[in-house]
Amino acid sequence: MARRLVWNFIREHGLTYLIVVVTIGLSKVIQVQIPNLIGAFVNSLEHHEMLSSVRFYAVRLALVSAAFVMLFGLGQYLVNRLARVFEGELRHRLFAHWETLEPHYFHRHTVGDLLSHVLNDIPQVRQAMGGGVSQVLQALFLFAATLYMAMRHVNLVLTVIALVPLLGIPLVVTNMGPKMRGQSRRVQESLSEMSDLAEESLASIRLIKSTANEDIESERFRGRVDATYHEAMQQVRLNTLFQSLIPLLTGISFAVTLSYGGDLALTHRISLGAFVAFTVYLSMLVRPLMQFGNVINIVQNSSASLIRIETLLNAQPAIQDPANPKPMPPKPSITFRHLTYRYPDGHGPVLDDIHLTIPFGSTVGIVGRTGSGKSTLVSLLLREMDPPPGTIFFDDVDIRDIHRRDLRAHISYVPQDGFLFSSSVGYNISFPRDTVDHWELVEAARQAEILSTIEGFPSQFETLVGERGINLSGGQRQRVAMARALIKTQAEIVIFDDSLSAVDSRTETAILRSLGELKRQGRTVIIISHRLSSLRYADRVAVLEEGRLTQYGAPKDLLREPGLYRHLYDMQTEGGPARGC
Amino acid sequence: MDVKGRTVAPSSRQSWRGLIRYAWPYRWRWLAIVGLVIIYNLTQVIQPDLVKIAIDRYLLVPHAHLRPLIELGLGYLAMTGLGLVANMMQTRWVAATGQAIVRQLRMELFRHIESLSLRYFETHDTGRLLTHISSDTTRISQFFTQFLLSLIRDGLTIVLVLAAMLWLNWRLGLLAATVIPIIVALSALFRPPLYRAYDRTRSRLSRLIAFVAENLTGMRITQIFHQEAKQLRAFDTLNTAYQEASINEFRWDVLFNRTFDLLGNLAVAFVAWIGGAAVLHRAIPLGVLYAFISYIQQFFAPINSLTQNWNTLQSSLISAERVSEVLATEPTLRDPPDPVHLPHIKGHVVFDHVSFAYQPDRPVLRNIVLDIPPGAFIGIAGETGAGKSTLISLMARFYDVTEGRILIDGIDIRAMAQQDLRRIVAVVQQEVYLYSGTVLDNIRLFRPEVSREAVIEAARLTGADEFIRRLPEGYDTWLTPRGANLSTGQRQFLAFARTIILNPQILVLDEATAHIDAISEAAVQAALMQVAKNRTTLVIAHRLSTIRDADQIAVLHQGAIVEQGTHHELVRRGGLYAEMVQKSQAPLSSYA
Ligand SMILES: Nc1ncnc2c1ncn2[C@@H]1O[C@H](COP(=O)(O)OP(=O)(O)OP(=O)(O)O)[C@@H](O)[C@H]1O
Ligand SMILES: Nc1ncnc2c1ncn2[C@@H]1O[C@H](COP(=O)(O)OP(=O)(O)OP(=O)(O)O)[C@@H](O)[C@H]1O
Ligand SMILES: [Mg+2]
Ligand SMILES: [Mg+2]
Repeated sequence: MARRLVWNFIREHGLTYLIVVVTIGLSKVIQVQIPNLIGAFVNSLEHHEMLSSVRFYAVRLALVSAAFVMLFGLGQYLVNRLARVFEGELRHRLFAHWETLEPHYFHRHTVGDLLSHVLNDIPQVRQAMGGGVSQVLQALFLFAATLYMAMRHVNLVLTVIALVPLLGIPLVVTNMGPKMRGQSRRVQESLSEMSDLAEESLASIRLIKSTANEDIESERFRGRVDATYHEAMQQVRLNTLFQSLIPLLTGISFAVTLSYGGDLALTHRISLGAFVAFTVYLSMLVRPLMQFGNVINIVQNSSASLIRIETLLNAQPAIQDPANPKPMPPKPSITFRHLTYRYPDGHGPVLDDIHLTIPFGSTVGIVGRTGSGKSTLVSLLLREMDPPPGTIFFDDVDIRDIHRRDLRAHISYVPQDGFLFSSSVGYNISFPRDTVDHWELVEAARQAEILSTIEGFPSQFETLVGERGINLSGGQRQRVAMARALIKTQAEIVIFDDSLSAVDSRTETAILRSLGELKRQGRTVIIISHRLSSLRYADRVAVLEEGRLTQYGAPKDLLREPGLYRHLYDMQTEGGPARGC
Repeated sequence: MDVKGRTVAPSSRQSWRGLIRYAWPYRWRWLAIVGLVIIYNLTQVIQPDLVKIAIDRYLLVPHAHLRPLIELGLGYLAMTGLGLVANMMQTRWVAATGQAIVRQLRMELFRHIESLSLRYFETHDTGRLLTHISSDTTRISQFFTQFLLSLIRDGLTIVLVLAAMLWLNWRLGLLAATVIPIIVALSALFRPPLYRAYDRTRSRLSRLIAFVAENLTGMRITQIFHQEAKQLRAFDTLNTAYQEASINEFRWDVLFNRTFDLLGNLAVAFVAWIGGAAVLHRAIPLGVLYAFISYIQQFFAPINSLTQNWNTLQSSLISAERVSEVLATEPTLRDPPDPVHLPHIKGHVVFDHVSFAYQPDRPVLRNIVLDIPPGAFIGIAGETGAGKSTLISLMARFYDVTEGRILIDGIDIRAMAQQDLRRIVAVVQQEVYLYSGTVLDNIRLFRPEVSREAVIEAARLTGADEFIRRLPEGYDTWLTPRGANLSTGQRQFLAFARTIILNPQILVLDEATAHIDAISEAAVQAALMQVAKNRTTLVIAHRLSTIRDADQIAVLHQGAIVEQGTHHELVRRGGLYAEMVQKSQAPLSSYA
């Protein structure tokens, strides 16, 4: 696919590439004229011409070389500009593609690894598209021109014989090319692994510092750096070997010429002058040949990178939107019908035969022990993963028949670990919307009980929260994430995944009161919590145990029957946990 | 503007000196490389000579023989071989040196960044730091592998050609040498715009990378709120800005290089003109002029190659500048010159009139006085944003107090080495950080000296063992980045197990059970109490049942301790704590 991208791009910019070929070709043709011109000039001096003709030659020399320089510069600029445009498009594609992939994909790839593609692989491709193309063109034209001169002015047989060793070049290329490509891939992979570790390590700096683990991390990093070093050295060995083989072949050509051509000259089958000229031409061939070697090198490296990028672009989103989506029903009830779910790489079902209905406009609490599948359940509701067909319904529409855009427009969500962007508080809160009035911002902040805090900051809504919100306290971060969900006023379903865990009971009470507003507006509210106090306004509570729904009913009723709910309730009201054991 | 008003190239001498410092350990290798370059150049010079010998001695004579020609051919081949080997060795050594320098630089950078204080990370995002480690270092190495090599190789050639010209005819030689000041002047002229162009590209690139890094981490949020289009637009803005900068940079490159190309050709024309006139006036013989013209051409070939590498020089100088900026950043918190070692910790912690502010005149903690006897279990409660986590950060010396002091067993923590302090005080933080790696390694933090048994024992103690065993591969299950294949509570369990391994004398739990259900929490706490029997323990919790058995509970309000006492004392007092307790329970009881 990525290779097709290259061809498509070249086709799309065919005209410009044509101009590039013409300008660089022309410039080389002109460049070849310069020695001729100097020759003619020396000749004219030999014949004692006038001063004016000297000036004439000098001016012509200046003009011709100016033309060459400008044409060449233009060609070079154009091709490299295109390479950079292509680079930009490739980056755009990659980013746009990443946006279509589901969370599961990002669980399998670290940020450092993905970044390394942007940082190390894409520039490789650019190099081939820019410098590579321009060198190939130069080499091609120079090679052709020289070869033409050699064949025309000297003995054809000699030319052919001299070129025989050069036939080894394709042999060398086909032999070493795959090796070089493979090595280049290994280098890029080791770089990926290195940035992988660096990224993770930098992101966990607080952990590392608080456990005095700096030395261990450095050692780990050293391992990765050493690996990149060794792979790079191996690559250097291969590349230098390859780049020496080509001049070696030309050297052999030269030696053959010297001996065989000398013989021809001795036996007067060619003139001495022709022999001399031939050696000159042959030496002129060395440069384009070396350039070819260089380009082949670049191409091998970049095709390794291109394949790596291709792999990324080929990753298919695991979740597909239906071809003929049904619209999300208005004011839907949510029904789980015998939902059983297992993660692709986990064993055993995480959710086991969940069967329940959440009527529209009700407030439902979900409780359950750690790892019982609560977050999984709401992830499925957001269709971050695909539930089996026929298990989740909005009214009577299967979730799999709804376009995700439509689905998510109707649901608002506060994730358990509220990620914030390293921008301002205001940006983060207004994130779900394209345009937000200030009063809406204030209203959402008020509902999440964060307004007075924000107003206490010197720059208010413009306060920068730092990477992942690090400049805020845990509870402030959580409430910003909550305000972000609440600003999506058009959402009929609001889900809170353990979103009051980092706030004190006073703030909790205040927030719950504003959640009561949601209820009055007739929206469905789902609250996951370990603190039963957060569920005080719930109409019903679902209790999950190891993926099974064991209790579902009004809190009052649940209290009357023995079970997990009552156990939890007792623990949180009467004895403290320490005493409970 | 992203140039931040820096319109002129900064002290490049400093950057240069920084660069040379890295090359210095390899000075002997560089010398060897110079030797190889000379050998290679000699073979290149001798090769045409061999052809000349062939012509002059063996072809132009009557009754010539083929044999010596074949010998010459073989000699030529030998020369080629020698030259190639020399060239290959030289390239390899240069590359090896470059790679060694990158390796060293990366290690140095990484170590240094890890040693910086937390403040630094509040203002420098991961994406940017990663660009330094991954790509700036590569660029710096190009200084050695490309620029320095070219400087050696081409510099040598330039000197030789210049010497030859002067030797041939000093007047014409001097005339030709006038191009040198022109070259210098042109380079000086081009330097500021080139520098600006490079600097802009670099800073735009790191901004782009930082954006991508952050958005990859937060992709889930973007998707859930369906803001893909908005983020893509933001990406495009940065991407286009970078692309433009990069194209602009290349435009300057081409302009710069072609200018020198043009200069070289004009110089040829100029010499032809002046020299031609001289020949006509019989001031110099024609042969000399011819030689001169080819010398001028030879003179500009290395100049062109040098200017082409001049770009590399510029970009590596900029990278060097960025890297040395990082390396020059001192950690804001420094260890004392002779830190105190505490052989035996009792765990007596005293906050002695501690005040603290993240930003000047916005105090977060005010005059905190707290005496924690050895082995005590202290609970800290308070509204969100009251400053509880900050208090802990001060104790682990992530920041230095603005006023007052913190003592452990009577010693000011600023008198200890930070690493020593953090081996004494272990904080289970509000956020859990996990690595992509096995569960085992995550618990033991990759420490090789911690055995598998110890890890399993720690997990069993905290109750994590139960769920770990149910994972597909038990302790060897590979955790995905940031532990995304675990539930949030399970992640907190791992953080607990970690702490057991660390075996600290002072244990601090900052909302460490927030995402854990009450039953598991009780088990965890019982285990921790057992482990921490004789240890000082500080527990921050919003779920007040967590700390009701504490020996003392301190209630923080807007940065000050407003109440202190046992659970029952505080409830009886009817203050803030009592209100919080009541708020967390009243609605519950109303069900019954
Ligand atoms: N991406 C994943 N791949 C494989 N297994 C997973 C993944 N995410 C979660 N699990 C497993 O699924 C189970 C349920 O996880 P889930 O996050 O739904 O729990 P939870 O009820 O939300 O727990 P908590 O109260 O701790 O947040 C856990 O055992 C967890 O290890
Ligand atoms: N790195 C930082 N830079 C600037 N201000 C900060 C930083 N970290 C915290 N703050 C501010 O300091 C105050 C106290 O934060 P802290 O994290 O100590 O609160 P907390 O009591 O732990 O709250 P929570 O219960 O929500 O975790 C808050 O107003 C917060 O915005
Ligand atoms: Mg969860
Ligand atoms: Mg906190």
